[in-house]
Amino acid sequence: MTTKELQHLYWRAGFGIQPRTLGNMSLDRKQVVNALFENSKTMTPLDLDLSYLEGVNPRDIKKFPSLAKEIREKNTKTILKFNYAWMEHLVFPKELLRERMTLFWVNHFVCRDRNPKHMLQYNNTLRYFALGDFRDFVKAISREASMLKYLNGKQNRKLKPNENFARELMELFTLGEGHYSEKDIKESAKAFTGYNHNFEGEFVFRNLQHDYGYKTFFDRTGRYDGDAIIDMILDNKQCARFISGKVYRYFVNPIPNEHHIEAMTNVFYEDYDIENLMRFVFLSDWFYSEKNIGAKIKSPIEFLVGMANTVPIKFERKTDLLFIQKALGQQLLNPPNVAGWKGDKAWIDANTIMLRLKLPSLLLNNALISIKEYGDFNDRFKDQYIKRSKGKLPFRTLPDWDLFLENFESIENEDLSDFIVQGKVNEGTAEYLRTLSKASKRDYCVQLMSLPEYQMC
Amino acid sequence: MERRKFIKDSALASSLLFVPSFVKAFESVTSQQLGYKRLVIIQLAGGNDGLNTVIPFNNDIYYNARPRLAITKDIIRLNDHLGFHPSLAPLRSLFDNGEMSIINNVGYPNPVRSHFRSMDIWQTASDSNEYLQSGWLGRYLDAHGYKPYNAIEMDEQLSLAMKGEHFNGIATNDYKVLYNTAKDPFFKSVLRHYNDKHLSEHNLGYLYQTMIEARSSAKYIYEKTKVKRSQQNYPQNKFAKQLKNVAQFINSGLDTKVFYTSLGGFDTHANQPNIQKRLLTQYATSVFAFVEDLRQHKTFEDTLILTFSEFGRRVKQNAANGTDHGAANNVFIIGKKLKKAGFYNKLTSLSDLDSNGDLKYKIDFRTVYATILNRWLEADDALVLNNTYKKLSFI
Repeated sequence: MTTKELQHLYWRAGFGIQPRTLGNMSLDRKQVVNALFENSKTMTPLDLDLSYLEGVNPRDIKKFPSLAKEIREKNTKTILKFNYAWMEHLVFPKELLRERMTLFWVNHFVCRDRNPKHMLQYNNTLRYFALGDFRDFVKAISREASMLKYLNGKQNRKLKPNENFARELMELFTLGEGHYSEKDIKESAKAFTGYNHNFEGEFVFRNLQHDYGYKTFFDRTGRYDGDAIIDMILDNKQCARFISGKVYRYFVNPIPNEHHIEAMTNVFYEDYDIENLMRFVFLSDWFYSEKNIGAKIKSPIEFLVGMANTVPIKFERKTDLLFIQKALGQQLLNPPNVAGWKGDKAWIDANTIMLRLKLPSLLLNNALISIKEYGDFNDRFKDQYIKRSKGKLPFRTLPDWDLFLENFESIENEDLSDFIVQGKVNEGTAEYLRTLSKASKRDYCVQLMSLPEYQMC
Repeated sequence: MERRKFIKDSALASSLLFVPSFVKAFESVTSQQLGYKRLVIIQLAGGNDGLNTVIPFNNDIYYNARPRLAITKDIIRLNDHLGFHPSLAPLRSLFDNGEMSIINNVGYPNPVRSHFRSMDIWQTASDSNEYLQSGWLGRYLDAHGYKPYNAIEMDEQLSLAMKGEHFNGIATNDYKVLYNTAKDPFFKSVLRHYNDKHLSEHNLGYLYQTMIEARSSAKYIYEKTKVKRSQQNYPQNKFAKQLKNVAQFINSGLDTKVFYTSLGGFDTHANQPNIQKRLLTQYATSVFAFVEDLRQHKTFEDTLILTFSEFGRRVKQNAANGTDHGAANNVFIIGKKLKKAGFYNKLTSLSDLDSNGDLKYKIDFRTVYATILNRWLEADDALVLNNTYKKLSFI
């Protein structure tokens, strides 16, 4: 494997890689990919302090409005803490690929819930199954408290069916539009009746609300339950194709290649083992082809975590982190709707592009992007700039440039571009970069991060 | 306008050299202004209680359902049945002059009572079981826009409503900040050197294109906006500031068709009277000042203002002297050239409610959108809304 290929793999399976780590790595593709999976064999669940919920029960909440209010307020605060904890979890995670896959599934099994306990459980379910058996995964999702609320599964009862979950199960989670009928939705909704959860967020099956009658689904008739419906959906190869297509567009290239997706579909359909599918992708020659490198627009989270991977950064005010996510258009735990974030070009509009270009300097360098030319040792511009912007910076951050310099020690300043930017730099822009002073590795890093090229991975 | 003149006038003139060829091609097709009619959206976020905004003061059911919450004093009577909340007094003259149309019972089938989801439905113009990833105004831009500043949101980030499939509006709560960011010398240098030869419309080319558009839009807004102090006094609050900026943009003649503003806090589950009074005062005094400002500059004629909320509230009040999430609600249309001013339709029955105890909708909100798109913005409403809706007769 070339350095470039290693970087590509680590940008897609993670959030980039530092030269220091890169230097010690095997160059055998199989070994590298194996290590990636090996490191994600374990799972480190996300953890939150939920002690304020101990001893609280639903009866008391109903009885005492002031308690209900207090819990509501603490829930809201905890959801914010959840967001920060997750962001921290993503920087130098123990199980890199698992975390990356979790982010992928978050935008597949899209869910939103203001109850932090249920949402934490949901989030860790995604993490647990991220590289596991897709069949068990879908079944687990159908039983999650947050999902039962989000898509009205708990309102789905024998005499009053609610089709919301059944519809999205097929349209967004497994088959895609056009591969089922309205009748299939109506009939399968009956199979999921009686699904509910308790206050703690555990699954509860309400016998009396379940429709035990016959259902005609995909032209077959039986007394199907929810799991049977999911099995029948997965029997359709279209499900493997639908997921493979989505994995391809997320991990390989936003422009689908039907040929490669079909190869993935054949692998995935065999056993619906997500790990096998991902291993197939990362071992394929086409994954490393030139046109796939740097072909993807980073999501705001990829952009932020990637930046923090290069220059470790601390936010003095956590609310800044939330504000930035919001302004960039991707707030963790707050997806726009069950279809999730549209991604790719939709991340970029006039506002988000300017913010993205300006953020590295704002967060890492007092908002300064140096324009010092080669051979210029005058710091007047910089001094003036810092004087002018003093006290006016919108964010308070502590970047760890020392650690950056350590991690990038082996890299010549002139070559920094190869390790900061994925894919090719525009010719004209590269020419401009050549005219710049590269006396400071730090300044040059900020300059590179302030390019449109840095938005790609 | 001639192509040459357009280039000369446009903020891009100085930077045309580095505009990639596909952007140039794109521009030559739409080298004309969009016309002078403007739409201003006011979103009342949180679910405004329509029944205490336009009050059915002759209806016993209203008083019985709201023993503590019903408005009894100082109602501004508009006809024999309905009257304004006292805080809406500044809007009285608009109503009397035939410059306001109140459409009652606006909603959609199978109403959703989640703020989040219902706002989504209103912004994307979807069915309640359909999830769209583009907004109705964004899709209008897809079809008719040529620059991000054709639709401006007075906020830090764009709402879904303003995001199209291929084209987006621009958000700015302070256009000077936007301009200062865009004119960073480093970006200027990058764009001066940047070379479009090997860039495609996909990925990196798209980023450069958007960067150029952002810079030229920021520059356009900054340079075109006349800072002449407005003669009009606005109240001191954030919402008024949004409208004041909109007036400044409109009166400066920006080629912007859609402005998006928002006033939040209407989720009045408890202690509704004081909260709603404060918010409606902010709303009415700000809108009044805005309309007067436009009037002085003779731009009111070409401006239409749509006020909506994601849902109304339950007919029956709750135990905390508030109201819970409801369904159908009223929508206000303000403008000079209304065909049907005053009450567009009667308030629906307060006794024939849905199973949640909420008002049943009689007018689909998408017929309001279709009417505005078709009759005001002269757009292809069926294309933008992905469906053909009946047109109403308020304009």
